[in-house]
Amino acid sequence: MTLIMVVDDDQDLAEMLGIVLNGSGFEVDLVNAGDQVMTIFNAHQPDLVLLDVMLPGLSGIEVCKLIREKSMVPIVMLTAKGDSYDVVSGLEAGADDYMVKPFNPSELVARIKVRLRRSGVESSTTLRIGDIVIDQVAHTIIRNGKTIPLTRLEFDLLVALAKEPGRVFTRDALLSEVWGYQHADDTRLVNVHVQRLRAKVEEDVDNPQVVLTVRGIGYKAGTSQA
Amino acid sequence: MRFVGVKWRSSILFRVMMTTFFLSIILISLVGSILFIQISNGIIREKTTESVSEAQSLYDYSQGQLDATLYLPSLKLPKVVAKILQASDLAIPTTPREVVLLGSPRVHQTNDKFNGSSGGLDQSSIPQDLRKKTRKSGVAQWVRGTVTFSDGQKKSAIIVGNSIEIPSQLPYELYYVFLLTEQQTIVNFIGQLLILAGFLLIIMIGGVSWYVIRQVINPVRDAAEIAEQLTAGDLNRRMQVIGQDEMARLAISFNEMAVSMQQQISRLENLSRLQQRFVSDVSHELRTPLTTIRMASEVIAESKEKMEPAAARSAELLQSQIARFESLLTDLLEVSRFDASASILELRETDLKTLVNQTIDQLQLSDHEQIRTDFPEEPVFASVDPRRIERVLRNLISNAIDHSEGKTIEITIRQSLREVSVGVRDHGIGFTERESERLFDRFWRADPSRSRLRGGTGLGLSISLDDAKLHQGTLKAWGVPDKGANFVLTVPKAPGIPIEGQPISANPNDESSTTFLMFDEDDI
Repeated sequence: MTLIMVVDDDQDLAEMLGIVLNGSGFEVDLVNAGDQVMTIFNAHQPDLVLLDVMLPGLSGIEVCKLIREKSMVPIVMLTAKGDSYDVVSGLEAGADDYMVKPFNPSELVARIKVRLRRSGVESSTTLRIGDIVIDQVAHTIIRNGKTIPLTRLEFDLLVALAKEPGRVFTRDALLSEVWGYQHADDTRLVNVHVQRLRAKVEEDVDNPQVVLTVRGIGYKAGTSQA
Repeated sequence: MRFVGVKWRSSILFRVMMTTFFLSIILISLVGSILFIQISNGIIREKTTESVSEAQSLYDYSQGQLDATLYLPSLKLPKVVAKILQASDLAIPTTPREVVLLGSPRVHQTNDKFNGSSGGLDQSSIPQDLRKKTRKSGVAQWVRGTVTFSDGQKKSAIIVGNSIEIPSQLPYELYYVFLLTEQQTIVNFIGQLLILAGFLLIIMIGGVSWYVIRQVINPVRDAAEIAEQLTAGDLNRRMQVIGQDEMARLAISFNEMAVSMQQQISRLENLSRLQQRFVSDVSHELRTPLTTIRMASEVIAESKEKMEPAAARSAELLQSQIARFESLLTDLLEVSRFDASASILELRETDLKTLVNQTIDQLQLSDHEQIRTDFPEEPVFASVDPRRIERVLRNLISNAIDHSEGKTIEITIRQSLREVSVGVRDHGIGFTERESERLFDRFWRADPSRSRLRGGTGLGLSISLDDAKLHQGTLKAWGVPDKGANFVLTVPKAPGIPIEGQPISANPNDESSTTFLMFDEDDI
């Protein structure tokens, strides 16, 4: 069974989320306060975390950073504000995706499923991007024999680019490919995650070789230097 | 000259200095001239008195000499006359003078045997007026005038004349000419001195007034400078208070004004911050329970089939009303964000053709609602906030559908060099002129009895207008009852450049806009 940790101070909402997620076949851990998150997280090792931004004790953004220090588990933020500041700081803290309240429950479930999807399973080939080797079976990326840890979303993003080396991806295309969005123009998701990904895979962040920016359009894979 | 004009208008110092300068020039030249005239007149008068008495004694002496020729045979008349004509003979060495002896004219007779002058003086230099007066009166006559010498030199002089009797001759006139050379030099010197003194005075008056005016102007300048800094936003600037004079009072009241202004501004800032805070709090507080309610209603709706018909319908109503409540809440929050000026544009280079098509797709229209589009062939890129523009388009299009009565809706895109217009035209019920005034008001509905087909919140057009304004664009409406309506959104292609025209006119019958349009298309 897939275990989802729901962190929300509103007990009724948490319970409702539990009912909906149970109905979709997930197991649910309910946590009400930010400072309890890490204890329960360490004990249960959930497959995905649903995290409210506004939490008593420890803010959702702080919690997000704490989880990211330990784990690459997918994190979806729940925010009551569509405000740019909240969203961007959540994404920069390591959240993979976010949902603005009040959200459609079926959309929430769909997003959770996208985040839990095993992207590399259907293919066993090895991909190359820049001087990085992607092993889709082992779900790891290697540069010069060294493994670089990535979140699942970052891995998906890299694979999406590496699969079609010549193609220039618009931000919208990446949103639909990696995040599963149909109609969305929230490019902040793409921008923030490309920055996070570059921080991990580029040798020189100011002069990227792996994820290249195509001005005015989007991104494309760096050519293999082998 | 332009520089002077500008200075005159912009600087009190310059104006006062100029006024002082010109007024003192006038006053000083007036006083100087009076002084000069008085002094030179005095000098000449003294010289005249002196000359007249000197001439008198010379005349007496000369007459004596001439009379003596009658009883002293050793004295020959021509010699005596020659001696009289030697002016230097009896002269006080410092006063240069010349002598002229002229015979009084007689009818039919010449009387110029002894005519003569000293020092090469031209005999005709003696004015006729003086000669007449001399002949008539018996006493010495004098006049000021100019005399000419044989070498052409002209000199200012006092001419004193008297009749003289030469024995056994017709009457003669003897003139003494006292040159004013020395006096002229003195007068000239005094004149130069006066001019120099005048200049010095003017400069000193200028300096003094400059100093005095600066004392008054400097605090005013400081005040202006500090007021400018306050206007620029540096609210902590204050004037220096020195002493207890009028300037100190100006500084004190100025500073009080600044303090009260700062307090007002910070109070307003606080209010606006509170307002934004309130908006975001309401947002959070309402959205969380709404999320729970929504999820609950979906869960309930999922098991509709197992419910009784009344309960199932209730579940449906619950769901649709929650959706309506949700869009109302979203719109209300948007409105209060606009009111608090807390809205931020997230600009992105966007193809408006794609955006319009996307919006139409998302409305999921049924077949009978026909939409005809008229787009230019080339892409229409503009730097806009796609979320907001899509919201405006969604509003305009769904409004058009609600009021079109099933007739075709035309969506047009046109661009010029700097701006893009999207027009949404329907041929439905339209609106009257009076209605058009309230069109963009919040919660206003043209006809309250009309069914709310698409469940609009009544805030749509108001938000659309705010969105257009946020882009520095416009949203214009045109309508005629039963002929339909036309809404035109115009936004600049690049942010920060206010739009100059509209590629589409709001009035579809406006011919001039068509020509304008064609011109623009050629232009691109």
